[in-house]
Amino acid sequence: MAQHGGPQQRIFSPLRTALHRFAFILLILSAFGLMLLGKADTVLIERIRAASADLVSPVMNVISRPAASINELTDKIYNLAHLYEENERLRRENQQLLAWQQAARNLSHENARLRDLASYTSPPALHLVTSRVIADMGGAYAHSVMISAGSRDGVAKGQAVISDEGLIGRVAEAGYQASRVLLITDINSRVPVVVENSRDRAFLSGDNTNRPLLTFLTADAAVAPGDRILTSGHGGAFPPGIPIGVVSSVSENAVRVAPMFRRHQLEYLRVADYGLQGILSEDRIRQSQPSNDENITEVSPDLPDGVGIVPAGPTGNDGTSPSTNAAGEAQ
Amino acid sequence: MKPGVWHRLDIIARGLFPAFSVFALLLINLLPLSVPLLSTASPALALMAVFYWSVNRPDLLTAVTAFLLGLLQDLLMGLPLGVSSLVLVLVQTGSASQGRFFHNKPFSVMWWGFALVAIPALLVQWLLSSALIGALLPFKATMISYVLTAALFPIVAWVLARAQNTLLRYV
Repeated sequence: MAQHGGPQQRIFSPLRTALHRFAFILLILSAFGLMLLGKADTVLIERIRAASADLVSPVMNVISRPAASINELTDKIYNLAHLYEENERLRRENQQLLAWQQAARNLSHENARLRDLASYTSPPALHLVTSRVIADMGGAYAHSVMISAGSRDGVAKGQAVISDEGLIGRVAEAGYQASRVLLITDINSRVPVVVENSRDRAFLSGDNTNRPLLTFLTADAAVAPGDRILTSGHGGAFPPGIPIGVVSSVSENAVRVAPMFRRHQLEYLRVADYGLQGILSEDRIRQSQPSNDENITEVSPDLPDGVGIVPAGPTGNDGTSPSTNAAGEAQ
Repeated sequence: MKPGVWHRLDIIARGLFPAFSVFALLLINLLPLSVPLLSTASPALALMAVFYWSVNRPDLLTAVTAFLLGLLQDLLMGLPLGVSSLVLVLVQTGSASQGRFFHNKPFSVMWWGFALVAIPALLVQWLLSSALIGALLPFKATMISYVLTAALFPIVAWVLARAQNTLLRYV
C-alpha cells in the first residue's frame, strides 16, 4: 500500500489518525455529558428508559420462557430429592396454620363487629395487575427486574409491587407494555417502615446487598433479630401493613433486614394500585410548586378516604379532621 | 465482476454481526435465572464480546458502536447513564490498538489479556457508578462479578470464534 500510495498516503494517513483521535475524545466527552444529563433531566431519561424497556420486552418475553421452564425443571428435581423433609415441614406448618386460622376467624368476627360500632369506612378495593418477570437486571450495580405489564395494563410509576411473600419494590418506570421494578434492596430504594411489635418507625434503605439496612431508627428503639418489618404508610408511597421482612442482625451501627422474597425465585409479581400517588409523584411536585408562598413545608398528600395514612393538614387548621389524624397516629 | 445487490446486502448483514452478538449477550445477561449467585452479581457478557471483537475485528465493532451498546446497557439495566458507554469505548479503543499483540498467539494469552483489561474496566464502572449514585456500592459484588466475567470468557470467546469462522471469513 505504502509504495503506490505515494503523497496521498502521506497526507491522508495522519489525517485519519487525527480523525480517529478526535472521534475518541468526542465519544468520551459525550459519555460524561450523558452522566450529567442523567443527573439533571430525570424525567426525560425515565421516558427513554421506559421506551427501551418496551423495545426489548417482546424479545425478552419470548426468550425468558425457556429459561423459566429450565428453572422449573431444576426446581422439580430439587423437590423430588427433598420430598420427605418437605412433607414433614409442611405437616408441622399446617398444624400451626390451623391454630392461626382459628385465631384469625375470631379476630375477623371481632373486627367486623368493632367496625360496625365505629362506623369505619373500609379502604377502596385494590386494583391488582399480575405479571411475569421477564428480565432480571442482576448485578453489582442495580437491583431491579423488568415485568411484562405497562401503562397498557394500568401500571404507573410509583405503584407498589408485591409477591406472595410481601413487598418487592415499586415501579420505577412504566413503559407501554413493560415496566422496571426497583427492588427494595436497590441502593436507590427508601421505604418508610414500622417494626411490628414495638411500632418504632424507620426507613428501609437498600444498599445493593441482599440485606437492606434499617435507618433513621431512634436511639431508644427496641429492635431484636426476628422482629417483623411492615410498611408504615408514611409519605403516601405505600399503604401501611404490607410485610417486608424480618430483622436478621442487630449490631452497634447497623440493623439489617432479610426481605421475605428470594430474588432469584421471583416469577410472578402483582402490581398494586392503592390509589396512592407516591411521595415523589409528578402531580404532587407540580401541585406543591405554585403554593410556595403560603405553606412551604406542607405537601398536601391528597389521599383517598379511608386509607390510614397520616394526612398533613393542608390548610393548617388542625381541628378539621381529628378522627383521621388519630387513626393515622395509631398506625 | 460487479457484486449484485443481494451479495452486498449479505456482506452488510454479516458485518453487523459483531454488534448484534453484543446485543444478544446483553439480553442473555437480563434473563431471569434462578441461580442465587447470579442475582447478586452477574458476569459482564457485553464486555467480553466487545473485547473479543475489538481484538479480532476492530473494523466491524468501532468505538461508536461500543458507545451505543454501552448506552443500551445502561438504559436496560437501570444503571447510571453514560458509565457503560465510557467503559466500553475505553476497552474498545485500548484493545483495538493492542489487537496485533494477540494475533497468532495461543488462546490463553488472550484470556490473560482479557482478565487484565476487565480489572480496570470493572473498577471504573464501580467507581463512577458509586460517584453518580452518591453512595459506595458493595465491593464484594463487583469482585464476584469480576471472577465470573474472567472465568466465563473462554465459553463466550469460543462461541464468538465459531461464529467468526463461519460468518465472517470473507467479510
